[in-house]
Amino acid sequence: MTVTFPQKGLPWLLLLPQLLVTAIFFLWPAEQALEQAFYQEDAFGLSREFIGLENFAALFTDPLYYQSMLTTLVFSFSVAIVGMSLALLLAVMADRVIRGKLAYQTLLIWPYAVAPALAGVLWWILFDPSMGPIALWLKSAGVDWNHYLNGNQAMILVVIASTWKQISYNFLFFLAGLQAVPRSLIEAAAIDGASPFKRFWTIVFPLLSPTTFFLLVVNLVYAFFETFGVIDATTKGGPGQSTTTLVYKVFNDGFVGLDLGGSAAQSVVLMAIVGLMTVIQFRFIERKVQYS
Amino acid sequence: MTDVILEKVGKTYPNGYHAIPSVDLSIEEGEFIVLVGPSGCGKSTLLRMVAGLESISTGELRIRGERMNEKEPAERDIAMVFQNYALYPHMSVYDNMAYGLKNRGMAKNLIEEKVSDVAAMLGLTELLQRKPRQLSGGQRQRVAMGRAMVRDPKVFLFDEPLSNLDAKLRVQMRVEIRQLQRKLGTTTLYVTHDQVEAMTLADRLVVLNKGKAEQIGTPMDLYNKPATPFVAAFIGSPSMNLIDANLTEQGIKISEALTLPLSHQHRGGIVWGIRPEHLEVSDEHNADFALRILAVESLGAETLIHGKVETELGNGDPMVVRLSGPHLPDVNSLMWLTAPVLHWHLFDAKTQQRLRD
Repeated sequence: MTVTFPQKGLPWLLLLPQLLVTAIFFLWPAEQALEQAFYQEDAFGLSREFIGLENFAALFTDPLYYQSMLTTLVFSFSVAIVGMSLALLLAVMADRVIRGKLAYQTLLIWPYAVAPALAGVLWWILFDPSMGPIALWLKSAGVDWNHYLNGNQAMILVVIASTWKQISYNFLFFLAGLQAVPRSLIEAAAIDGASPFKRFWTIVFPLLSPTTFFLLVVNLVYAFFETFGVIDATTKGGPGQSTTTLVYKVFNDGFVGLDLGGSAAQSVVLMAIVGLMTVIQFRFIERKVQYS
Repeated sequence: MTDVILEKVGKTYPNGYHAIPSVDLSIEEGEFIVLVGPSGCGKSTLLRMVAGLESISTGELRIRGERMNEKEPAERDIAMVFQNYALYPHMSVYDNMAYGLKNRGMAKNLIEEKVSDVAAMLGLTELLQRKPRQLSGGQRQRVAMGRAMVRDPKVFLFDEPLSNLDAKLRVQMRVEIRQLQRKLGTTTLYVTHDQVEAMTLADRLVVLNKGKAEQIGTPMDLYNKPATPFVAAFIGSPSMNLIDANLTEQGIKISEALTLPLSHQHRGGIVWGIRPEHLEVSDEHNADFALRILAVESLGAETLIHGKVETELGNGDPMVVRLSGPHLPDVNSLMWLTAPVLHWHLFDAKTQQRLRD
């Protein structure tokens, strides 16, 4: 349906607030980053010098940058896979609950309302090596927990903190997906002699694949770009570079290391990645794995 | 040989709702039993209890002499055709049919043989590699039946399998189901709310009303001697004319001004019934009563005349007359009718049971 306005001005006027917000908070900074990526600026921002592609050249010859890429991949896939598995497990169980269903489901949705930084702080306290209850319990169980010193443990901590927040979201989608699977299919499979386990893997799980694929993309995007708050509140990218994701590195190099040009070059690379992921998301979600 | 026995089978839901008080039914081997009744009468629940998809609250279900109450659906050796077919949408027709056999650990070449046999019988050979969404309604219906047949079960269960098809296809599939069942000789329990489907398919019918079996018998038994007014009204189309009346010494007193003579020892309130097709057109002198015509439905092969019984005291009970061939009486005119005693049905108004003739 096409709506036609009698005057030419009104539609523009109605669009103006949104366009202004987009221009000031998205387009302008993006343009700034693009521009800055080609300059070298002194730490106080008083002078700058055009250096062409040197920032990019430095970036792609820096082993730390590749390290950060690998960290991001490990982190993102861990968050996506752990978060989705747990959410699916919870959704399957919630789908079977008959009494108190609503209370159970509401409680599971709560973590999503917690701000990323708070989620980070919460897990930071729980795992603090000297006073965190979980860390102390781990110590009594013989695990020497100290994520300030141990890079792998730091990674586990940020994965837990990031995953915890995302489980609610995944849970909601999986629950809706499960409820959309017709009961009669499961009954037919039961009559066909499939065990509950087999019914899940041969009937329910394949029918959930559109949901699963959608969530995989959403979770990867989340882990890539929206976990800055969690990482900053728990490990600050450390120890060493062990939890420095690409996004965290942009911040760290730019605002801590004050290498604004290098940081801007990294932003440009990230922009390209976002663009690519958006294309994938739209291409696949619209076409792939649709049943009925 | 008795194949399936339901003994005082009842269903009470956890919330206390008493869906089925108690049903007794024994089904012979190879028999085609149709459970029929209005929606909410418990017919699907009863079928699902036989399938093992609903628990049995009271009573016992036996298949070939073995108690089934605690058995899983898969262990009962039954196959079910669902109303929406319940085909697995992500599997090909072949995989849909093979799924049950694979789960039972049958050898691959044996599965292939069985599936292709059944597919050939149902005319599905060309469609084996298709997905369900690429099939028409009638083809899906056939695949659902194929999936049930391929396992060669003791009992077929059908849950309103034709209600999603258009009228023409429904008639065609009805005939096919009947032929297949005859050919295979598999005991069948079939649920429908359509009395025509029920009458044409069944060896025996079970008419359910509010979870109770009102009557069990052959289609002709139920047509000729309905046990209750409910069955009388449910079986036959258009329904039997049923009128509240009183049985007195003079006969059946339908209203102050109309009494049909009859000698019967029963006294008191009754329901008097006669089928539309058993009323006969007569003349003023020989008629039992007159009908004021309200509407005429001409169907070509037959004509349905809707009217009200008219006496000196005014219009009374509504009545339908079914005449064969085309007739075109004027609306609002009077029609004289006789109701042959032979075709009367009498029910006790209080107990709702048929009175002995």
